[in-house]
Amino acid sequence: MPSTLSQQPSTARWLWLATAGLAAACFITLTLRPAHAQDRDNSAPRQKTESPYFFVKSNEPGLDQLPLKATQVDVRISGVIADVTVTQHYRNEGQRAIEAKYVFPGSTKAAVYGMNVRLADRLITANIREKQQARIEYDSARKEGKTAALLEQHLPNVFQMNVANIMPGDDVKVELRYTELLVPQSGNYQFVFPTVVGPRYNSPQSENAQAKWVAKPYLPAGQPSATAFDIKVQLVTPIGLKEVRSNSHSIDVQKGQETGDEGSKSANVTLRPGNGPANNRDFILDYRLAGDRIESGVMLYQGNPGSGENFFLAMVEPPKQIAAQTISPREYIFVVDISGSMHGFPLETSKALLRELIGSLRPSDSFNVLLFAGSNRFLSPKSVPASRANIDQAISTIVQMGGGGSTELIPALKRVYAEPKAADVSRTIVVVTDGYVTVEREAFELVRRNLSQANLFSFGIGSSVNRHLMEGLARAGMGEPFIITKSSEAPAEAARFRKMIESPVLTSVKARFEGMDVYDVEPAQLPDVLGERPVVVFGKWRGQAGGQLVIEGQSASGPYRKALPMGSSNQDAAALRYLWARHRIAGLSDQEALEGGDAQRARITELGLQYNLLTQYTSFLAVDKVVRNTQPLDAPSVNQPSPMPQGVSNLAIGAEVPGTPEPAVWGGMAMMLSVLAMLARRLRRHNAARLTA
Amino acid sequence: MAFLTGFHTLPRPQSLLKRPGFVRWGVRIDTAPEWIWLALLAAALWPTWLWIGQRMLDRSDDPLGLLALSALGLLAWQQRRRLRPAPRLLWLALALAGAVAATLSHGWLPPLVVALMATTALASGLCAFLPVSVASAPVLGLSVLSLPLLASLQFYAGYPLRVITAEASRWLLALGHEVERSGASLLVDGRLVIVDAPCSGVQMAWFGYFSACAVTLWLARGNRAFLTRLPVVSVLVLSGNIVRNTVLVAAEATGSHVPGWVHEGVGLLVLAAVCAAITWVMSRPEKAHHV
Repeated sequence: MPSTLSQQPSTARWLWLATAGLAAACFITLTLRPAHAQDRDNSAPRQKTESPYFFVKSNEPGLDQLPLKATQVDVRISGVIADVTVTQHYRNEGQRAIEAKYVFPGSTKAAVYGMNVRLADRLITANIREKQQARIEYDSARKEGKTAALLEQHLPNVFQMNVANIMPGDDVKVELRYTELLVPQSGNYQFVFPTVVGPRYNSPQSENAQAKWVAKPYLPAGQPSATAFDIKVQLVTPIGLKEVRSNSHSIDVQKGQETGDEGSKSANVTLRPGNGPANNRDFILDYRLAGDRIESGVMLYQGNPGSGENFFLAMVEPPKQIAAQTISPREYIFVVDISGSMHGFPLETSKALLRELIGSLRPSDSFNVLLFAGSNRFLSPKSVPASRANIDQAISTIVQMGGGGSTELIPALKRVYAEPKAADVSRTIVVVTDGYVTVEREAFELVRRNLSQANLFSFGIGSSVNRHLMEGLARAGMGEPFIITKSSEAPAEAARFRKMIESPVLTSVKARFEGMDVYDVEPAQLPDVLGERPVVVFGKWRGQAGGQLVIEGQSASGPYRKALPMGSSNQDAAALRYLWARHRIAGLSDQEALEGGDAQRARITELGLQYNLLTQYTSFLAVDKVVRNTQPLDAPSVNQPSPMPQGVSNLAIGAEVPGTPEPAVWGGMAMMLSVLAMLARRLRRHNAARLTA
Repeated sequence: MAFLTGFHTLPRPQSLLKRPGFVRWGVRIDTAPEWIWLALLAAALWPTWLWIGQRMLDRSDDPLGLLALSALGLLAWQQRRRLRPAPRLLWLALALAGAVAATLSHGWLPPLVVALMATTALASGLCAFLPVSVASAPVLGLSVLSLPLLASLQFYAGYPLRVITAEASRWLLALGHEVERSGASLLVDGRLVIVDAPCSGVQMAWFGYFSACAVTLWLARGNRAFLTRLPVVSVLVLSGNIVRNTVLVAAEATGSHVPGWVHEGVGLLVLAAVCAAITWVMSRPEKAHHV
């Protein structure tokens, strides 16, 4: 008969009591004072940011998660103006109606002036609307079951297309058109078409921390996009073409038959097939004109008589850059991004660039390097002379560094500006980054406010650099932006930087118009010309065309003066309307960035609506009249994923934090059963031994 | 006359031998083999088995429950010749009550609670027929382990277990490293290592309790020995997980990538040690007690 508990020795009773008591104490403690993973202050908002994420293919039946099937780009470059038509081809191959959302990049200087939607045999033309109004109308069209397309601008180089109620089997083509001014640099013209928005690090301190567009899906590095991509460029110039090439893509160039003394004046450029995915990096097309000349002169456009406005664009060739006679000592602070998105190829390119930049400093210069990711650190407590020993030590430290973590640009810049500076030394800050952040406005404001302390040059590293940040930083810091897509470009760009620092081409630039009534001239103040790029002046004119434009300034060889006759108008230059307005909007946006808030909202909205331009406060909206979806609320939203930019690793989105997982279930099961089997065997042996004893 | 009349009303000898139908049925029911009773009980609880099957097929839980069910089946098979013809009524009543409660509460209570009642009812049914020498507590234990428990345990007990493991690992690692703990994460020499859900030791706990039940039944230890030694099993499991975690965190903190097979290897070695220790504890002979 089994024994009862009351008859047991006291040890067992005490063990039971202790266990039960401990359990009860734990239960009471947990009830009275519940444990929370994180303290939560209900009065303060939750610290939450929108962040990019990896695309996960759901197994939801009948849902097409990749509705964007192709992007076709047609570029027509005529002289210095590019007219681009981007056609996004959406097709729903699922069995459910969907709303497609796609965040895509654009050129920083693009003036987006038109959009239309082709749905089967119908053409729906989009209208420009105030942004909130457009959003309201789009949402109501979506809820009514009408097919609609909404194009919004999040940043000057980041757009979002929303297409509602794409029915199963639908073929929707959305065409958007933009124009862009191509400004040559040292005789080289460059057309850039970005294809992918790089994954942005969204700092909780950023004013864009809640920006929904940042939370976009990405395919893992190395996985090509399912979207087809093709680009065709038609190039027509008044001067013969000397060279057409692309460092980013393999291209086929077919030069036109129309030839002059200086060679062919037109060319058709297409992508060479069979060279892998083309839409994971910027498409960069470089071309030079015969004799390395640039198209300088004044272009006039006369609007409709009566109500129309007249516009002009002047492009004045700068003087040649010459070596300066005396060079004052300078202090350089290199601010280098070593965050996760720079891991691998971009960081290696940065190292190559820094070797060039630091390695060529003169002994009279001093320098320091600030490495930043989530935190930042200076290589030495204060700037050190650019002696060979210091340079070698800095380079060897830089060569050993690895990339990882977030991208806190603002604290890094603040730390640089907080560094004490000798009054007689001019300081130059060089920022080296891919620009995958969302703090553009804050950064521009910070640089502009500290302009008296230092000027700033930016080096964008990578295949799909955030050019808006690089150009904006340089503009705010009175410097120049440089984009480096591969290590081999580093020496040439570093040399160009040195030349620019040592001898600016033209300073104290002023434009004067004689014999013609001009107004609304852009830019209001002409910046110094550092590299060999032309002085560009936009504006409006009235009355009779004529007279001349005089550009005056100070060049390395003394006072500079150049006069250009204001010629006759050219009706082909209708794009000047958009280019002028786009330039004015960019100026107002810069001013707004400095002032904070949305002080220029009314003026920018007015310009957008008047000139039919996409801006941060105006959007394009196209709505079909036919109700096509009878159950619009059941149509899920699908975010079209982007490929990871070429050379960028998965660390740009998130690093895998190591854990200590238990072994797999099957392994554990096998191990435990083995232990039990060994016990059984041991027992059998033991019993057998006892029987035979 | 009355006597005669009475004599005439007596049934004939053939009809005396003929038993009424209800008696025949009663006898047949009473002499039915034991496995039929258990099979009928199991059949009555079919919604629970359906739910458990679905949980296994939709991969929302690991299939460890099958192992516990197999162990119960093996026990019943081993004891098939020793099953009691007269079941213990208290256990049978418990089985009936459990089956009724599980059927009535179906759809009202969470499926896991209903499944717990159902498997306990089946285990009680088995206990009713098992000989007295077979301890009932490990049988009930195995029935609980046959449930798809791991995901729920991970949800409710996972975080506290991870925090305890991380804190204990911190103490151990602090001997040679600079360690900080934040929740269930450890910052070892500036490197972040997470003691996340798969590291909580819930799986090791399942294996530990399963070993304890299996060894107790195998070696025919009693209820008292089983129950009094269970706290030792818990301590062994927790210690094993702390050791496993500490070793792996220390390896990760070196900064070099630790391959997956090292994680598996360390985990399996520690699991083997824990199972062996539990087996040893459970197999120790019981002290003789005076009745």
